[in-house]
Amino acid sequence: MSERVRHKGREERWRGLGVSDGIVVGRALRIHNGTRQVYRATLEEGDVEREVRRLRAAVRLARRQLLNIKSRAETELGIEHAYIFDAHLLMLEDHKLLDDVENFIRTEHANAEWAVKVAADRILAVYAEIKDDYLRERGSDIEDVVQRILVALSGEPSLALRNLTEDAVVIAEDLLPSAMAELDFEHVRAIATDAGGWTSHTAIIARGLGIPAVVGLRDLHRRARTGDEVVVDSYAGEVILHPSEATAEHYRYIVASSSGARYAATESGHDPLRTLDGREITLRANVELPAEYEGVRRFGARGIGLFRSEFLLTQGGAMPTEAAQYKAYCEVALLAGEDGATVRLFDLGGDKMGGAYSETERNPALGLRAIRFSLRHEEVLRTQARAVLRAAACGRLDIVLPMVSDITDVRRARRVIEEERARLESEEKEFGAIRIGAMIEVPSAVLTAEKMAREVDFFSLGTNDLVQYLLAVDRGNDEVADWFRSLHPAVLHSISRTLKAAEAASIPAVVCGEMASTPAYAVVLIGLGATDLSMTASFIPRVRRTIAGVRYDEAAPIAAECLQCEAADDVEEVVRERLGARWPHLFPAKTLPAQKNKE
Amino acid sequence: MVEQRVMITNRLGLHARAAAQLVRTASCFESVLRLERIDGSAAADAKSILSVLMLAAARGTELRATAEGADEHEAMAAVCVLFESGFGESEQ
Repeated sequence: MSERVRHKGREERWRGLGVSDGIVVGRALRIHNGTRQVYRATLEEGDVEREVRRLRAAVRLARRQLLNIKSRAETELGIEHAYIFDAHLLMLEDHKLLDDVENFIRTEHANAEWAVKVAADRILAVYAEIKDDYLRERGSDIEDVVQRILVALSGEPSLALRNLTEDAVVIAEDLLPSAMAELDFEHVRAIATDAGGWTSHTAIIARGLGIPAVVGLRDLHRRARTGDEVVVDSYAGEVILHPSEATAEHYRYIVASSSGARYAATESGHDPLRTLDGREITLRANVELPAEYEGVRRFGARGIGLFRSEFLLTQGGAMPTEAAQYKAYCEVALLAGEDGATVRLFDLGGDKMGGAYSETERNPALGLRAIRFSLRHEEVLRTQARAVLRAAACGRLDIVLPMVSDITDVRRARRVIEEERARLESEEKEFGAIRIGAMIEVPSAVLTAEKMAREVDFFSLGTNDLVQYLLAVDRGNDEVADWFRSLHPAVLHSISRTLKAAEAASIPAVVCGEMASTPAYAVVLIGLGATDLSMTASFIPRVRRTIAGVRYDEAAPIAAECLQCEAADDVEEVVRERLGARWPHLFPAKTLPAQKNKE
Repeated sequence: MVEQRVMITNRLGLHARAAAQLVRTASCFESVLRLERIDGSAAADAKSILSVLMLAAARGTELRATAEGADEHEAMAAVCVLFESGFGESEQ
């Protein structure tokens, strides 16, 4: 007994990958979705038909659940993500599976659970042999369906029916798509999973809903128990089980003082945001999924600064049709309202795509991606251009060209878009006016920004890729994480130069990327002259509160001092010292760059 | 019985969504619809998604489609339209 008590009190930490920002102190809710233990039982002859009826009832229950999940997924995640549940439904109704199961029950006098497992294993064995990666992956869909039948047979309520406590931290090995769609988003405070990566379903949905999430935690699920106290800190990519009283207190303080802003989201509403000395700053939303649409309004975004259109592709990467794109862009335009939305053309290829295209490239980050992909596969570009132009009749839409490295990219894309506009005109189809901008995220674009500015209607600064390409650091590679420095003087000079080029040409420039969502960095950006920032919607309240509490005429000299620095460490030190000293109430230590160990 | 050769032209092959579309379409008809690899190495009931997925038909695969029943001509026509349109995915 003492053993157990001691164990309960011992703080344990897991490191993973934070995929959706936030800090939460809550109680673990452990979700089973891995392999359920299934045992074989032998039935009396007289019980066999009853067992078949029990199986059929479970399948009917599973079917009702899936229908609900599908319709919920359609409204909350978008039709392009919901189709997978249509495939699940068909698998559930498939006689190939059910006939096998019933036959097995009848001939072997086996219990339904065992029969389901045996029949499913036979099918999965065939799938495991498939050479095509994507098609082989569909085995996981069959497992998802089989688990659902097994849960229905067990008589346990499905997740949606569980009474979630107010502070539930969902802990799972991995969340299958259907389990994720079934969660009660209102009550889930955070998600922690053993498996998963930045682009897993869990990560994408969690970001969309503004739920903090850490993935890649190896064996957390096995070690946690429902009801355990747990801290999820996605900034540090850390999960702490049984935190000591001091640790829990520390995190509660942080939650109360900073990231608690998320819950006080709507307070300051939609008035124009100004610094204390009156400089107007516009905060827009970066949007990927329909699940994030609600956040755009709730968090007070002024339109959509970046719509990542490649998320319209299905999980497997199938291209959406013009009609499907048109519908999606109309929806985005209506949502954004008079402030408008900027559609970034498909940023495909390289790491974004996986599967079919990337495997042939040895260096995908420098390969056929983004605008290069669209220019090579011109039909993709034409279809997308038509869809955006037509949707622009519903509301204000702009197009931004990703990863432009030479002004020729802009000219070629513009010509294609123009041709499609002319074609729509000759077809007497309705369309609207759009502006065409360039993403500035490649060093060559920065160095030619002055020329580029004369040929585009606006700039979007993509800071994530800019840091990656400027510093030659793969942002997905842990080994070089120490070299990925958003506050490197070269990055700041590039941003400054781009903003100046835009100003000289009298075109707007929006800074989108993770940098803008970190309050301390946002202040530096404003000091450099940025007036338009776009970020994940759930970060807007936090950044808004910070900007409303600082002065531009004090941020500008701090930014200027940063530009004079020799190294990233020095910039971080300036930021830490100056912001912490000038506005201590806005910048508790945790929100500033951490002190590096000096050599 | 009617028979026709069809080619998988969409990029991802007969993946989950394409297979779902095919099964939904095939299930609208009374006729028995079958798909078979030209080399005879695998065959599938077009009304079963598990069976269709097990064909593992990637892009460029050629299949023999057969329909047998009262509405075999209509069934074959409907299925061929799906294949020809690349299951509604844009071509590249």
